[in-house]
Amino acid sequence: MTDLLEVRDLTKRFGGLTAVRNLGFSVSEGESLGLIGPNGAGKTTVFNLIMSELRQDSGELFFQGREISKYPTHARVKLGIARTYQVPRPFGEMTVTENIRMGMMPDDLWQMLTKGPQHDAERDIGKDVGFSEREVAMYPGELSMGNLRKLELARTIAAEPKLLLLDEVFAGLTVGEIAQISELLVEKRKQGLTYIMVSHDLRALAPLVDRVVVMSFGAIIAEGTFKEVIADKKVREAYLGQ
Amino acid sequence: MGVLVSLRWWLVFGVGMCLLPLVVSTGTLRILVFAQFLAIFAMSWDILSGRTGYISFGHPFLIGIAGYTTAMLTYHLGVPLYFSIPAAVVATMIGSIFFFIPALRTRGTYFAVVTLAFMEVLYHLMQVVQPKLTGGTRGLSGLPTIILGAVPNYYLSFGVMFVIGVGLWLLIRTRLGTALSTIRMDEDAARSSGLNTTKLKLFAFMLSAFVAGIGGALYTHYLGSIAPRGIFDISFLFSILIAALIGGAGTIVGPIMGAYFLTLLLEFLRPYLPGPERYLIYGAITLLAYYYAPKGFHNIFGLLWQRLGALGRRE
Ligand SMILES: Nc1ncnc2c1ncn2[C@@H]1O[C@H](COP(=O)(O)OP(=O)(O)OP(=O)(O)O)[C@@H](O)[C@H]1O
Ligand SMILES: [Mg+2]
Repeated sequence: MTDLLEVRDLTKRFGGLTAVRNLGFSVSEGESLGLIGPNGAGKTTVFNLIMSELRQDSGELFFQGREISKYPTHARVKLGIARTYQVPRPFGEMTVTENIRMGMMPDDLWQMLTKGPQHDAERDIGKDVGFSEREVAMYPGELSMGNLRKLELARTIAAEPKLLLLDEVFAGLTVGEIAQISELLVEKRKQGLTYIMVSHDLRALAPLVDRVVVMSFGAIIAEGTFKEVIADKKVREAYLGQ
Repeated sequence: MGVLVSLRWWLVFGVGMCLLPLVVSTGTLRILVFAQFLAIFAMSWDILSGRTGYISFGHPFLIGIAGYTTAMLTYHLGVPLYFSIPAAVVATMIGSIFFFIPALRTRGTYFAVVTLAFMEVLYHLMQVVQPKLTGGTRGLSGLPTIILGAVPNYYLSFGVMFVIGVGLWLLIRTRLGTALSTIRMDEDAARSSGLNTTKLKLFAFMLSAFVAGIGGALYTHYLGSIAPRGIFDISFLFSILIAALIGGAGTIVGPIMGAYFLTLLLEFLRPYLPGPERYLIYGAITLLAYYYAPKGFHNIFGLLWQRLGALGRRE
């Protein structure tokens, strides 16, 4: 298996706080990786660095063997990386389908201007994540937290990423919704999607990942299968310590 | 066919306005000419600020570049209008890069203040640098006119406004229009959805400048003169902003409605408010609009339409 993403020696400081410290890990194609750790461990910061929403102070990022540190956010999306936000960030004045549309946009302005939206494809993606016919026409202000999370997921899936960064997609969802999203992820994985999943809901995460990386205070403290890391003493301390 | 259906209100509006010279006085037509130029400027503002949320307080800067370019070309060099006007539009688009560069780094209030500063700088430059060329404080007058008479000028300004209006209105209905508005809602999220916001912004700035350039050049030749105090004027800036805001920013139709409304209102109030009291009017309308129709008239008509529709269905 080749590495889809490799993070090498990544460091990010906010003033005196080192949020990510000499971090290194990789994800191979088709693999699914869990990224866990207590609050403030630096998980979201890692996603921000991978997406270039923050600039690393040092370290390198390789995607499909290519160093991507110089690529701006949208270019990384076009290469095939997409992320969901821990706090959903829908476009507030757009319906669910219009939000999904933004994930499906071509890079070329002329095509944006002349080619119409693919209404059917938009609706299909909406339904895939569990929206009803009525809900896809609603505005974010009318949606529940669970539905906002689904919208985050739908918009990123619409970009057809090779690598998906999932930041707390299960938070605020009902058991039924978690099952539905899990099923969708299993399905997408079969189709070749690679993802990194951040979740505090370890029970939901466990069956969805091949391997887990545990972070605490910006550094990796354990790595292995879910069972292995959960049994690790340092991991238990980190979680209990908070 | 679908396009024609969605354009039916534009057609009604167009036909109605074309018939207007049959029933109103030339005095009224002259006022409407000003409304139509204001509508062009307000639409130019709207496609940039209303859509992308990069609020320009310096639109007179763009309009002034256009006006001065064509004024100097025709006045000093006798360049024909069919050359000087396109040249003015190109110059305006190049000038808009001065707006675009700060927009790469700043947003919100900072951006607005930077654009205001550009307007002020140009105001002073036009007076002191090369007054022989720019006409200094007095500006340049006796510029060639495109056509003469109230009626032809009414049709010219209406035609240009109408074509720009329909064009921009169709544009904001495309995916490109939707993409531009994501910049206003959440520029970072737009980027992480894969949108090249820099390219989109550049497009919005260029388009805005293109429209401002056409409007500015034609307006200058309509007036036959240009002076720093007339163009780089806070009152002119207010008119543009308020026309766009009270009509409904981001909608293109709104700024047109706002421009007609504001121009007619100020004209109606002119006998009562000869001087700077008009600033009070600007303030008052803005407050009223903010409280009673924060999304502009455009929206009020939309709501009325829905109400009427609901009544119709009930019966
Ligand atoms: N933009 C920022 N500026 C300053 N400090 C930040 C910024 N973003 C994150 N931090 C800090 O960096 C540390 C890591 O934050 P991060 O959000 O990455 O943690 P996390 O693992 O995602 O936590 P959670 O599980 O609560 O989401 C925290 O101490 C946080 O306060
Ligand atoms: Mg987080």
